[in-house]
Amino acid sequence: MNVTYNWLKEFVDFEETPDELAALMTMLGLEVESMEKIGEGFDDVVVALVEEKQQHPNADKLSVCRVNNGKEVLEIVCGAQNFKQGDTVVLAQIGAVLPGDFKIKRSKIRGEESHGMLCSEKELGLAEDSIGIIVLQSGIAPLGTPVFNALGRKDTLFEIGLTPNRSDCLSALGIARDIAAKLGLKLKYPHTKIVEGPVMVESIISVTVNNTELCPRYAARYISGCTIAPSPDWLVKRLNAIGIRSINNVVDITNIIMMELGQPLHAFDCDRLSGKRIVVRTAEEGELFTTLDNQQRVLTSADLVICDAERPVALAGVMGGLNSEIEMLTTSILLESAFFNPAAIRKTSKRTGLHTESSHRFERGIDIDGVTRALDRAASLIVDLAGGVIAQGCIDVYSGMSERSAISFRPEKANELIGISLERNAIIAILISLECVVSPCADGSVSVIPPHYRIDIEREIDLIEEIARLNGYDNIPATMPVARVVSDRPTRHQEIEKQVRDLLVSSGMTEIINFSFTSPDASSKLLLHKDDTRCTAIKLANPLVDEQSVMRTTLLPGLLETTARNMNFRSIDLKLFEMRRIYLPGEGEEMPHEPLCIVGAVTGSRDGSGWSRPDETVDFYDAKGIVETVLNFLDIGGISWITETPESYFHPGKSCRIYAGREYIGSVGEIHPTVQKNFEIEKSVYCFELDFEKLVKLSRTKKTISAPSRFPDSTRDIAILIPEELAANKIVDCIRAEKIKEIEHVQIFDVYRGKGVPEGHKSIAVRIRYRSYERTLAEEEIISLHKKIISSLIGKLQVIIR
Amino acid sequence: MREQLEQLRNGALQAIVKASGVEQLQGIRVSLLGRKGELTALMKSLGSLSVEDRPIVGQLVNSVRDEIESALCAAINSAEENVISARLQSERVDTSLPGRYPLKGTKHPVSLIIEEICSIFAGLGFAVAEGPEIEHDWYNFEALNFPPEHPARDMQDTFFVENNLLLRTHTSPVQIRTMLKQKPPVRIIAPGTVYRCDSDATHSPMFHQIEGLMVDTKVTFSDLKGILTVFTNQLFGQKTGVRLRPSYFPFTEPSAEVDIACVICGGKGCRVCKNSGWLEILGAGMVDPEVYRHVQYDAENISGFAFGMGIERIAMLKYGISDMRLLFENDVRFLRQF
Repeated sequence: MNVTYNWLKEFVDFEETPDELAALMTMLGLEVESMEKIGEGFDDVVVALVEEKQQHPNADKLSVCRVNNGKEVLEIVCGAQNFKQGDTVVLAQIGAVLPGDFKIKRSKIRGEESHGMLCSEKELGLAEDSIGIIVLQSGIAPLGTPVFNALGRKDTLFEIGLTPNRSDCLSALGIARDIAAKLGLKLKYPHTKIVEGPVMVESIISVTVNNTELCPRYAARYISGCTIAPSPDWLVKRLNAIGIRSINNVVDITNIIMMELGQPLHAFDCDRLSGKRIVVRTAEEGELFTTLDNQQRVLTSADLVICDAERPVALAGVMGGLNSEIEMLTTSILLESAFFNPAAIRKTSKRTGLHTESSHRFERGIDIDGVTRALDRAASLIVDLAGGVIAQGCIDVYSGMSERSAISFRPEKANELIGISLERNAIIAILISLECVVSPCADGSVSVIPPHYRIDIEREIDLIEEIARLNGYDNIPATMPVARVVSDRPTRHQEIEKQVRDLLVSSGMTEIINFSFTSPDASSKLLLHKDDTRCTAIKLANPLVDEQSVMRTTLLPGLLETTARNMNFRSIDLKLFEMRRIYLPGEGEEMPHEPLCIVGAVTGSRDGSGWSRPDETVDFYDAKGIVETVLNFLDIGGISWITETPESYFHPGKSCRIYAGREYIGSVGEIHPTVQKNFEIEKSVYCFELDFEKLVKLSRTKKTISAPSRFPDSTRDIAILIPEELAANKIVDCIRAEKIKEIEHVQIFDVYRGKGVPEGHKSIAVRIRYRSYERTLAEEEIISLHKKIISSLIGKLQVIIR
Repeated sequence: MREQLEQLRNGALQAIVKASGVEQLQGIRVSLLGRKGELTALMKSLGSLSVEDRPIVGQLVNSVRDEIESALCAAINSAEENVISARLQSERVDTSLPGRYPLKGTKHPVSLIIEEICSIFAGLGFAVAEGPEIEHDWYNFEALNFPPEHPARDMQDTFFVENNLLLRTHTSPVQIRTMLKQKPPVRIIAPGTVYRCDSDATHSPMFHQIEGLMVDTKVTFSDLKGILTVFTNQLFGQKTGVRLRPSYFPFTEPSAEVDIACVICGGKGCRVCKNSGWLEILGAGMVDPEVYRHVQYDAENISGFAFGMGIERIAMLKYGISDMRLLFENDVRFLRQF
């Protein structure tokens, strides 16, 4: 809602400066979002008198003038022709800055000195275009008065962001009313004097309302003999100031009165109304109607229409029809002022996509008491500006809305909830300032009837809010609650989430956050089989763009896109992870599932290259190592790395699924070359994904800690030759399967292929550390344990010991 | 025997003096004093002496052994010291070269701010609650007093799914889920992801909020002001000015927008605060009785407040980020600074 300082001042006699008023309105809940000072910075542009005008000696089209600015007489060179000696003009003095950052300086024009410039409307930004300089009414103001002051054009435009509940402030009057209530001043309603002609309105036009539920009040006046013309200057300027384009005098009046009083009005060309009748009814299903914007609309039975004897002439409360609009030759006008059902207008506006200043007000609710006030004010203004005669009488189809019901209000409850201690009388005074009707009740409460225009006030709590608002939020103390102690700690899920995020970060990973929605082709880019459940994503009904139209079922596409984007910026050593929800349709359940997942990617050099280390590229085991770090931290046992059924998006020879017992908890591997291509990634990337919900379920919270042995250890290495296809881990499993309690640790410390190792084989070096909890192991004991292991390896795995 | 001892002593002392390095000295010790050493052999042969001579020669042998032993010790010590000082003379590193350190990871700024805010509220006794992002219309709107067709729904451009499901437009539905699960006193905060179909330099279709809710027997609007003042002072610094001004949310009444004194210009007015000196960071208010009705709380005997704030906005203010899109581009050159 736009309103200006001067306009508000027409309704309330406040003393506040524009800045003070802006602060006051903001603290009333009428947030001033921006302020524009009109005419500010133009104090060097003043009213001046042309005392002498002579032809420029060296130029035909220029004149040299002696101009009095009230203090001195200056010599000015001017090119305009439309003024004479003795005219009052507008002088931009030296130092003035005109729109477009045009600085006025002393200059010499064709040899004659000029100490300023006489201005046109265009140069002052008052008009799009203008011919000649401004010639003011003589004696308009003392010479030297800043011209914007002299013209009364100095003003401040406030752009107010209204909350949806404050429909009463969708007008200058409404805002002024709140200011008056806050300042304890009287609101001055605009003065209207209606002069009616002899012809009775009923003899010209009749109004029938078929649906009084959707149209509880319909008022109209008839004005004949009008002349449609451009609006006068003041009206155009005021409309422009609040961002409305001028059309013609009658239409402009309906608009300015709407902005002034909050009542939308509509003017019909009465000669174009068939049968001189108005019928307010709901549209027929499929009925066609062309609105003012020249769009044909297909109506439904929920739409309310204003009709003449034959056809719709306006979409009620939303927009008029092309068939009855005011044109240059219009002479007789039917002026409509009505109250339409807010929900009905909202439905029509929403369905048609037509959101107008009028529908905006109707759907939020207007003041039903103000319907005829606005009608009369507009009618009298039409006669003032367009001439004509108002027919006698006002049509007003109104059953009289039921009185608003009283609200039982307890002043002490207001104090208690807000945390203040206002006197009972002060509280009641606030309600009265808001034009509420207040009467005391026997039980100490008061009965309050709010004014019609405050449709947002229905309950005691609404009144309590008004007390807090008018008394001022700044006057509420800041206190700490007196509360019962409650004991709570993060859930296991929350705790583990934070721990794992910390762990990944401390492993060198950078956290990313991608959008939860993705492109529908994400699953095909991952080469997922069409039966894969991850291909069934939850779709958005109204996505912004196709690339963000389905909820993601896997975090991988986002991770790969991020990887590609970073590589494009030459960030090639990456360790990224994302820990977010995925969204899966709830099978047979109403609500979808939103499990938390973890994905990670590593690519490029291992630790960042530098002078001190060789430039090593990461591989499968870097990704696996991060997974193992997480699994070890959560103490999840029984892990197996299964290569038989690789995920489609991984290199089948360099990936595996991860199981904890029988539970599938994730996968790890090198991204499949085709997928890598699909995401336009230039280098190999190793990724992992983990089902966080399963990790939480499987993690063992109680760790068992054992004291270390105090006896010396002894280590033995074995080099074992095994076929390439045998998993190295089988060796460790085989050693562990012996369940020798003196074996403290088994570790594969080298894998070797090449000289000395036959083709298709690899040599695995294993280190076993023996140690007892009870005693120092004797050499002979160790030898016998080690022999047992070697024979078991040979027996069970048919390996060759080197 | 005496002469033999004398010879052995002189020879040994000479060898010790001549020896270079700890290893040679250790060799001398073994050859003289070891199990098969010369002096050891002499001591073993004492048994063949007469009873009268035995103590005298024995004493002599012992004194020779002690003498050799202490000469050896001194020589070994000094040889070791030589080794150390030679090392200290020769070994040098260039301390100006960069150290070897593990690649550092970072948390996303949104995670950092959520953790910081949750920890501030943990100190005030607020537990963390969560709820679904794909939410039912009833929790997201109706129970929060946004009736169908109400203009207030226009305040939040909604992504719809189907079957009355939508992407939650705020974290406020967690209030409803929490109150349906437990009776007062309630003190929770709920961080989470929210969605609105809006996208430009200052709006992202996905962003994050933190919701707060406190319900007990005598909670007042002034308490809300108190809690939010403590919170903003902890988050932005002890002297940050806080201002509440009237606003409207369907699920709170009275409602407030909460502004802090501009952290960029300190309240003098700048581009970030649009010259107002204030920055809007929170929406808040007293829980509307209509919300209590939906969760079967007795509005007459309890009261409470709720508040909600945008994480990205706070992250941008705290870190001086001017473009919200940076937060979701995931450029590591940006993320690694946190």
